[in-house]
Amino acid sequence: MAGWVIKGARTGIRSSAYPAGPETAIGVSPGMPGDTAVDSPSDAEGLASLCPTGAMTAHDVSVVVDRGRCVHCFRCAQDARMPAVAWDPGFEWATYTDAYQALHAAFSRSLHIRFVDAGACGACMSEARQVNNPYYNMHRLGFFITPTPRNADILLVAGPVSDAMRDPLRKTYAAMPPPKRVVAIGACAISGGVFGPSYASAAGVKDIIPVDVIVPGCPPPPLAILHGLLLVAGRKPPAPRSSLAARADGRPE
Amino acid sequence: MSMSAELLLVFFLLCAAGVAASVVAPARSGPTALAVIGAAAAIALLATGAVLMGVEPGFRLELWSMLFGGTMALAADRLSAVLMLGAGLVFLPVSIFSATYLRKYAGHCDLRYFGVCYFVMFAAIVLVFIAGDALSFLAAWEVMSISSYLLVTYDLDREGSAYGGFVMLALGEAGTIAVTIAFILMVIASGSLQFGDWRAVSPHLTEGVAWAVFILSFAGFAVKAGLVPVNSWLPLAHPVAPTNVSALLSAVIVNLGIYGIIRVNLDLVPVHGAVPGLIVLVVGSVSALIGILYATIQSDMKRLLAHSTIENMGIVAAGIGATMIFLASNQPVIAAIALIAALYHLINHAVYKALLFVGTGAVEAGAGSRDLDLLGGLVRAMPWTSAFVLVGVLAISALPPLNGFVSEWLTLQTLLRSAVLSSTAIKIIFALCGVLIALTAGLAVTCFAKVYAMGFLGVSRSAGAADAAEVGWGVRSPLAFLAVFCVLLGILPTYVIPVIDRVAYPLTHASALPALVPPFFLPQAQQAENLPPAFLAEFHDLGAQTGEGMLPGRGLVVLHRGQASNPVVFAMSTSYMVVALAVLLGLVFLVFRLLTLGRRTVRGRAWDGGLRRLWPSLTYTATGFSNPVRVIFHAVLRPTTIEDSTEAVATHFRTAIRLDHADVPIIDRLVLRPPMSGLRWLAELVRRMHVGYVNAYAGYVLLTMLVVLVIGLAILR
Repeated sequence: MAGWVIKGARTGIRSSAYPAGPETAIGVSPGMPGDTAVDSPSDAEGLASLCPTGAMTAHDVSVVVDRGRCVHCFRCAQDARMPAVAWDPGFEWATYTDAYQALHAAFSRSLHIRFVDAGACGACMSEARQVNNPYYNMHRLGFFITPTPRNADILLVAGPVSDAMRDPLRKTYAAMPPPKRVVAIGACAISGGVFGPSYASAAGVKDIIPVDVIVPGCPPPPLAILHGLLLVAGRKPPAPRSSLAARADGRPE
Repeated sequence: MSMSAELLLVFFLLCAAGVAASVVAPARSGPTALAVIGAAAAIALLATGAVLMGVEPGFRLELWSMLFGGTMALAADRLSAVLMLGAGLVFLPVSIFSATYLRKYAGHCDLRYFGVCYFVMFAAIVLVFIAGDALSFLAAWEVMSISSYLLVTYDLDREGSAYGGFVMLALGEAGTIAVTIAFILMVIASGSLQFGDWRAVSPHLTEGVAWAVFILSFAGFAVKAGLVPVNSWLPLAHPVAPTNVSALLSAVIVNLGIYGIIRVNLDLVPVHGAVPGLIVLVVGSVSALIGILYATIQSDMKRLLAHSTIENMGIVAAGIGATMIFLASNQPVIAAIALIAALYHLINHAVYKALLFVGTGAVEAGAGSRDLDLLGGLVRAMPWTSAFVLVGVLAISALPPLNGFVSEWLTLQTLLRSAVLSSTAIKIIFALCGVLIALTAGLAVTCFAKVYAMGFLGVSRSAGAADAAEVGWGVRSPLAFLAVFCVLLGILPTYVIPVIDRVAYPLTHASALPALVPPFFLPQAQQAENLPPAFLAEFHDLGAQTGEGMLPGRGLVVLHRGQASNPVVFAMSTSYMVVALAVLLGLVFLVFRLLTLGRRTVRGRAWDGGLRRLWPSLTYTATGFSNPVRVIFHAVLRPTTIEDSTEAVATHFRTAIRLDHADVPIIDRLVLRPPMSGLRWLAELVRRMHVGYVNAYAGYVLLTMLVVLVIGLAILR
């Protein structure tokens, strides 16, 4: 009887050490190109031209990556003719948008999430589902999925927002009681990704409802989604902006 | 001639005037004439009942002598009076409602015909109550049966009208035959048609005759009372009858069956021993459960109410059965309590069922349908009707402080009093019947929560319900009248019980009053009678004197004073409950206001799961609401699914699929269908004789002759 209790006790805690400690398991994230300094403007142009989604832009002797567009295709990392891109193997990519306002501290250890698939290909959902499994186990952090937006604090959206999902997304947002925050996960939800904008979909969630936090990745790995949620909860800082990016757009780091 | 008899004469004259007016009045003013004269007759009837209750204990009028069996007599007592009051309370508002309702028949049905039947039925019902001999009873009973049949089948265009009326008439006449045989047995035993003589002879009946009289009369009256297994006519006749007639069927006609049971089996030929009582108790409890079970799964309001009538009559019959058992066990006080509970429930049921039927009529007039699946949201369009129906729904769900609660509480508590009985077997049956009735009470809440929630709340599920219009005061005033009585009968039980106690006293030879309504709020000197000091002290400790100065009169109903060690068995007060409920609701409101002080209220759309459009048919329907009951009681209900598919090319390419559910009520399935199919089988067997050859028929003639000859020879030898 209750063999699973003994098995559980014998197995011990196998959940990820993140966010209390570093995540040491291999393969938890595919990584993403980082902002890279190169030798010449032509190298920068060449490197940027490799990107199929236009995530890389050349600025003088540097290449700046728009993480919200990257689909981890590795073309920039594997092309032998070009200088190597600075590869970021981590997963803490989530960041605020300009509209973001901090939640009250009372929410930091209890956030209820309503997930909406607004026309995603399935990859983001597959990853988002993983945060509920024993390894990533978001319940230990005080995050819970709710079946109704009436109880939700966070609206977690994946997908570029197809036409069919535009009204439901608006309705879901309207049905949530304030204070409420929107987290867009995946390149599609942030920028339209490989789908949008098109005749059948918008270019991301921000076209429909205000977005507070974006989690880049195509799809974002579960730890990246956790990072995004911890960001809303005010328990983790956003991904830092490199000095190259700051120099490129003239805004502080 | 006594005052009550004079008032009754006024009543009959008014009925005659009604018949005359119906015939001569022009079609346009016919309904108004019917309403005015009907209401006047009902008031005369109420006055008669009140006089019989308060001033005179009864009267006896000898009309004329018959060739045999003495005189034809009219005799009224307080049992007649309480039923007159019940009938008057229903006829008064229903007559007023008829004025508006009957207008829809103008043009395609003859209103004169309706008026004549209406007044003939009204007079016949009262004649049943005051019949003093078997012949006038049966004559009045037959006139009542046939005139009510004619009223039920008034609108022959309605689907199922002829069948519903036929089942009602056929079962009713079968019941009448059973009652007639029972009466003939009594006439043979007593040598007289007079009810008075039967009372004298009834203690000396042989066992067999007593049993035959009980079984036959109970079975016969059970048809009219709508008890199992002869209740099939109610759900068939109610939906096809005009709504005002449905109200009369459920609120008055079924009471006649109960009157018959009380009159014959408790008054004229009291049953011997506990077994007849047990039969009545079990039949009543099973009726109650089966009635409410089928009511819960209906979505047609009238059919639902018809099944609910079966339930309520079951509860009344259970009370009567308990009375018989307690009388047989020499517990007259508890027997009186049980009878009071039964009669109280009878009156309550008449009032709230009439209210709900008139409410159904209002809904049908306002929203164009009475199918709960097609209604919804009527509370906004029909606020008055909704408010009155809410009172009726709360009352029939037996929620305090309304009238249904008082009588159901008394009935259930009486069943719990089986502890005083000596036989263990009877105790077990009592307990089981108590369980059935408690389950019934629970299902009743489900059933009528469905009626109100699906009919009046939520979104409108049809165009008719969306464009519903409030009915005029011609319909609202009868609703208001009945709702007021629902409340009054609920919060003033301590004034109603003493009145009904006067009815029960001659039947049980004991007054339940000192046990049931202790005179707490009377001056100290008057309290002393019957109340031991320990009893009073216990009530002081309970706080029974609280609010003595504020509440007018006595508020407390106590169920039977027990032994010295345990003076108070149970006590409840609906008048206190009103005060407590008002205070609590006020408190909730205040707390809510305090908590939301300085906060902003945001009004948004209901969460619909993100659908493009919330179709009304996607919301919770009445069928969906009651489906858990359908699933849980699958073994009883046995619904069959009818699949009607149209196939276009092959099995897999269907162009239309229509799924329908059909329920054959368990009583029909188990009791009525087998003999019917047996008869059919027999007829089929006989049909084989008819082969169509002349030679064969000649052979039959030859065979018959041979048989006759053989028999003749045998006799001669």
